[in-house]
Amino acid sequence: MKPIREMSQAELGAFIHSHLRQLGIDVVLSGGASVAIYSKNIYVSQDLDLVNIRFAKEGAIKAAMQQIGFREEGRHFRHPESETIIEFPPGPLAVGAEPVKSVDELQLPTGTLRIISPTDCVKDRLTSYYHWGDRQALSQAILVAQHCEIDLKEVARWSTAEGKRKEYANIRGSLVGNRSP
Amino acid sequence: MLEPILGSTSRERVLVFVYARGEGYAREIARFFATDLVQIQKQLDRLEFGGILAGRSAGRTRLYTFNPRYPFLSELTALLDKTIQFYPKDQQEALLMARRRPRRRGKPL
Repeated sequence: MKPIREMSQAELGAFIHSHLRQLGIDVVLSGGASVAIYSKNIYVSQDLDLVNIRFAKEGAIKAAMQQIGFREEGRHFRHPESETIIEFPPGPLAVGAEPVKSVDELQLPTGTLRIISPTDCVKDRLTSYYHWGDRQALSQAILVAQHCEIDLKEVARWSTAEGKRKEYANIRGSLVGNRSP
Repeated sequence: MLEPILGSTSRERVLVFVYARGEGYAREIARFFATDLVQIQKQLDRLEFGGILAGRSAGRTRLYTFNPRYPFLSELTALLDKTIQFYPKDQQEALLMARRRPRRRGKPL
């Protein structure tokens, strides 16, 4: 097994995910690290948000993380060989008011990583843009849309369900780029 | 009122206050309900970690609002809206009728 200090962020995520899964703890990567993975690291994230989708007890997560050398610091975990901060936000796995219905799996040399799909990643970033006016989040959504196949019809439907049809109309061009809407 | 569901009076107070005022900080909430600051801080922290509230720093104060990303937000606020209707009239007014428009510094009233 590759030492932790040599793992990419995605490989580290896969390593932790696979370890937790063996112990019956189910997590899915969401947040900025998923943007980093889908944008081929053009966007850099400092943390891995592994959503605790089956509401595993905090103590069980702590014990599992300690087994692979992570130390709890407040509400996150760190490893002496890595700069990445690991967090376990509680479920449910959602984008805006809707549950995430399916997740993708990436096979990496260090294990399997379950991650929200590129389309849900775009929706996740747009939630921050729509509700907080966070332009960094919009830039991240555009980055993901530039690097991955996105179901734009689904993003449009979801935006309307969030009450953000007009806002979506304003940014659709940026997401679509040279593709047909 | 929601204590049997939420398991904590302080948690209800935090949620009701933030719902009624749109935002709140620990000392303000504790002062309003004349209750222990530490308990309120603990609940704000838990609710933030749970994704229900979102916190931001304003100077040295941590201000909390509802997290618009919380998937059950509309259902939760509907419950809180109804809860406030069952509060005593004077408490309802104190929660809902606080001045929110700006006041120029130095103005006597």
